[in-house]
Amino acid sequence: MKMNRRDFMKANAAMAAASVAGLALPTSATNLITSSEQTKLEWNKAPCRFCGTGCSVIVATRDGKVVATHGDAKSEVNRGLNCIKGYFLSKIMYGRDRLQTPMLRMTDGKYDKHGEFTPISWEKAFDTMAERWKATIKAKGPTAVGMFGSGQWTVFEGYAAVKLMKAGFGSNNIDPNARHCMASAVGGFMRTFGIDEPMGCYDDMEAADAFVLWGSNMAEMHPILWTRVTDRRLSAQHVKVAVLSTFEHRSFDLADLPIVFTPQTDLAILNFIANYIIQNDKVNKDFISKHVNFRKGTTDIGYGLRPTHPLEMKAKNVATAGDSTPIDFDEFAKFVADYDVESVSKLSGVPEHKLIELAELYADPNRKVTSFWTMGFNQHTRGVWCNNLIYNIHLLVGKISTPGNSPFSLTGQPSACGTAREVGTFSHRLPADMVVTNPEHRKHAEHIWHIPSGIIPAKPGYHAVEQNRRLKDGDLNCYWVQVNNNMQAGPNINEEGLPGYRNPENFIVVSDAYPTVTTQAADLILPTAMWVEKEGAYGNAERRTQFWHQMVKAPGESKSDLWQLMEFSKRFTTDEVWPADVLAANPQFKGKTLFEVLYQNGNVEKFPLSDADPKYLNDEAKHFGFYVQKGLFEEYATFGRGHGHDLADFDVYHKEHGLRWPVVNGKETKWRFREGSDPYVKPGKGFEFYGKPDGRAVIFALPYEPAAEEPDEEYDIWLSTGRVLEHWHSGSMTQRVPELYKAFPDAVCFMHPEDAKKRGLRRGDEIRVISRRGEIKTRVETRGRNKPPVGLVFVPWFDASQLINKVTLDATDPLSKQTDFKKCAIKIVKA
Amino acid sequence: MLAKLLEQLKLVWKILRRPSVHYSLGFLTIGGFIAGIIFWGGFNTALELTNREEFCIGCHEMENNVYQELQTTIHFTNRSGVRATCPDCHVPHNWTDKIARKMQASKEVWGKVFGTINTREKFEAKRRHLAENEWNRLKANDSLECRNCHNFDYMDFTRQSKRASQMHSTSLASGEKTCIDCHKGIAHQLPDMAGVEGF
Amino acid sequence: MKTGKLLSIIALLGFSVSVLATSVPEEKIDTLRLAPINVEPTPPAMQAVINTDVKQVRNYPMQPPVIPHKIDGYQVDLKVNKCMQCHARTSTGHTQAPMVSVTHYMDRDNNFLADLSPRRYFCTQCHAPQLDAKLLVENDFVDIDHLIKAKAAVKH
Repeated sequence: MKMNRRDFMKANAAMAAASVAGLALPTSATNLITSSEQTKLEWNKAPCRFCGTGCSVIVATRDGKVVATHGDAKSEVNRGLNCIKGYFLSKIMYGRDRLQTPMLRMTDGKYDKHGEFTPISWEKAFDTMAERWKATIKAKGPTAVGMFGSGQWTVFEGYAAVKLMKAGFGSNNIDPNARHCMASAVGGFMRTFGIDEPMGCYDDMEAADAFVLWGSNMAEMHPILWTRVTDRRLSAQHVKVAVLSTFEHRSFDLADLPIVFTPQTDLAILNFIANYIIQNDKVNKDFISKHVNFRKGTTDIGYGLRPTHPLEMKAKNVATAGDSTPIDFDEFAKFVADYDVESVSKLSGVPEHKLIELAELYADPNRKVTSFWTMGFNQHTRGVWCNNLIYNIHLLVGKISTPGNSPFSLTGQPSACGTAREVGTFSHRLPADMVVTNPEHRKHAEHIWHIPSGIIPAKPGYHAVEQNRRLKDGDLNCYWVQVNNNMQAGPNINEEGLPGYRNPENFIVVSDAYPTVTTQAADLILPTAMWVEKEGAYGNAERRTQFWHQMVKAPGESKSDLWQLMEFSKRFTTDEVWPADVLAANPQFKGKTLFEVLYQNGNVEKFPLSDADPKYLNDEAKHFGFYVQKGLFEEYATFGRGHGHDLADFDVYHKEHGLRWPVVNGKETKWRFREGSDPYVKPGKGFEFYGKPDGRAVIFALPYEPAAEEPDEEYDIWLSTGRVLEHWHSGSMTQRVPELYKAFPDAVCFMHPEDAKKRGLRRGDEIRVISRRGEIKTRVETRGRNKPPVGLVFVPWFDASQLINKVTLDATDPLSKQTDFKKCAIKIVKA
Repeated sequence: MLAKLLEQLKLVWKILRRPSVHYSLGFLTIGGFIAGIIFWGGFNTALELTNREEFCIGCHEMENNVYQELQTTIHFTNRSGVRATCPDCHVPHNWTDKIARKMQASKEVWGKVFGTINTREKFEAKRRHLAENEWNRLKANDSLECRNCHNFDYMDFTRQSKRASQMHSTSLASGEKTCIDCHKGIAHQLPDMAGVEGF
Repeated sequence: MKTGKLLSIIALLGFSVSVLATSVPEEKIDTLRLAPINVEPTPPAMQAVINTDVKQVRNYPMQPPVIPHKIDGYQVDLKVNKCMQCHARTSTGHTQAPMVSVTHYMDRDNNFLADLSPRRYFCTQCHAPQLDAKLLVENDFVDIDHLIKAKAAVKH
């Protein structure tokens, strides 16, 4: 018997309805239930499931169901507020089509790459996976297996995954979707400061005199932070807000200085501001003489495309892209002198007086400035440069690490910082900012993990975009995707992602709570617990670590990612995956399962089940027989304690509404690198950028270079992609909440009325959005929240039936490997 | 200098006073009449030329500010394709009011020549003042230009939303309110509304 | 009647067990797409905003109400807040629109202000109109009222 998902859902729904309808309603004397005994709800805290703001919410449960949510009044982040998504969190777990059982593509009872998705047991699912993994590792080595994770993993899950891949399978082919999101920010931090994540915190918002948004639509993407900026702007009349973007959006509603610039010219605008500061003698000479070094970066570094792409062949310095040489202040001043107001105005399309007004916000010594940026900077083929250049400006005037003076990189995902960055789930990273290429770092990790040296490979694994390319080329054959929807989110899926997943040589496993286009392209689907169906920890953009308890059971046979990872590790012994010479030298590890060496290593199983609060569910602890989350966290925390990444004790986080690391002697840190605020700054230093050996941050001389693809005669218009307020990422949760779905049901192509008229189009017309790589069908929107200038259109990517990433280009920043989803050339024709 | 000018004026007066030598009285009368029609027609044609949207948005001040804002509103595109052009709302339809408005427009010509609102910032600085002019005019003439299309007598309240019919059947019907009292900022962005009644 | 209901529940339970044994073809797995990945579905026609002014029951008391009318062209920016033209306390007399809730008068430290709190200035961060779109997936969120009444019924 064949069914489609809708029939399947209907059957489930009828059952749910019957179970409610079957119960007779009580007769009572009044129309209200006045007994508070009966109406009392169980309330517990949890961070929001969506963006990197990290709002805290209070969740009500009753009879095993989440029945309400509201903003946490005790949270410093949001003080009782939520955005529209946050207010509807209660409903995200109850979409009728939750996946409830593992499903394998099968024909006639056997696995078949072209078969239909058939329900199977977990036993069978793991058997099938393990068989493929073992055969692949045996035939091609550990580089042929890989994992694509997420900034929405809990800290425990990300950490367990890193261990499984790097210490278990001996493969660095693990990367998070945060590669699409924050990699350029990480690159910027590491290059300028030598240590990741913002020095400031959200408290900057109540202290700043000016806000500058660089490619960040906070009004839609970080709504609660926007309420804080709005609060400040409307409460203090001297406060100014500048908003820079390639098109007009909702954040412009608060802008005193609205600036729409030509795509890619932000690089030139940034250099102009540095030049303006120098020309007008506004440099904080004392600050730069004590705390700053100057360097000149390598240029002409390519666009992170396949090496065979003409642009890569043409670029001179692809191999040495990250290099730089020391220079002095005068050389830097000379370098930026080219970026005068006339030429930058001409290049960027921004009137001269606006450029000067913008520069003056930074140059004015009496104005505290906070800069915000998100995907406009990070999803950029020169994303690391953009990050470096904004730090240049703040460092030149010494406006950093003090309340209100803050270059602040916002994050997209709820645990892009906490999991992807701090845990180090990137293909080149280890926990606490360490990297696999450094032998000392590998040794340190192997020591903490109690595994023999030589297990963690020295060569970085495949990053996100490379993974899709290697899947297509047949170099990566066993692939496990957790907590993300990369067939919708990844770039150029038509040429890379889809052929990669459907390559007959490959076996693709996708863990998710809901069916998505990524599960559609998979071979095996694993039903997964989400949010408060498990115990978790997230880390937000201001270094705040937040915990939550499991509050309800996951439906059907769904299991958490953590359970899946640890349970899967039981299927392997060291003999099957570790190098023979390492085992020969360390015979005590012979014959042990990966579960034993990774999760029963003396650390992870250290805390008994009885340590867990009996008031709450904890399916994983119960299953494995020890408090796994605590064991994983405490082992992980040893990486950072005493190294500038100090985390508090596990139990503290279940009580507090989040703490900002480094947490030293029980005290969180609001502003890093400043004496008196950051315990790591040595007395008498004033400021100390201790991520660098000499304590000095770096100002980089880096030029404007053009985008990878620009509109031409045939593909005559820019395409920018992004999110909308009501939907989180690919919409797999929010499209299933009726109120959010109806707020923005289908993607549209936002377009200037004149661009529509020029093409004979009107609002609502069906159009084809076509690039050199693929096309989608959508509809014209000439009104509404986004107002692009002539020559640019914006298409959101939340809609599974309009995969705009068939159209985008997989050009990345050569340094960060992060894709530029904001710029490619397309044409638009009537469908 | 002044004496010279007076001299010339005297000369002109002399010529005008002198009876016609070459043309008959009939010719002069009829010719004058025809010339009058031509001049009058020309004047009106020229006037009407200035009453077209193309003329209005010939100035970048209008095209880049108010016209851009108009394009996304219901008065520009809508279900039936009946649209309002600039003069529909901003130029009175009866002749005397129109002439009065055109005389006021001389100030706008002045503004154009001296660039009073030739940048977005200058326009924004004047927006409240400009809007108030229009609100006052519409308030004084009981929203005449609105009513040229939106005739109260033919409104079908059952075809309106609950909110609209409630307001129109009470406040508007009684004459207590006129269109512009509630419908400010429907075709262009509003200025800073601090202190404006109803906001 | 009661037996009939019971029988149908049993039938449904049996049915759902059989569901687990069925297979789903690739193009039917993603409920939000229901098309092969390499085929471009025709986008649905643009839907109109529901403009009935009929209040929708909230899922729980803390949920911000959805907007039951059009807000096309409503200006909410540094110059003006169009929503408050009707929803401000002082306007609700003649507009009969619901007043924004008292929480909207509270600042970050829960002090009551004389007018709308600046942190609540941008209404659409929490409130959105609804388009007349057909749901792709139903949602089985259970109203607390059902749970309480069900429990009360068991006790009786």
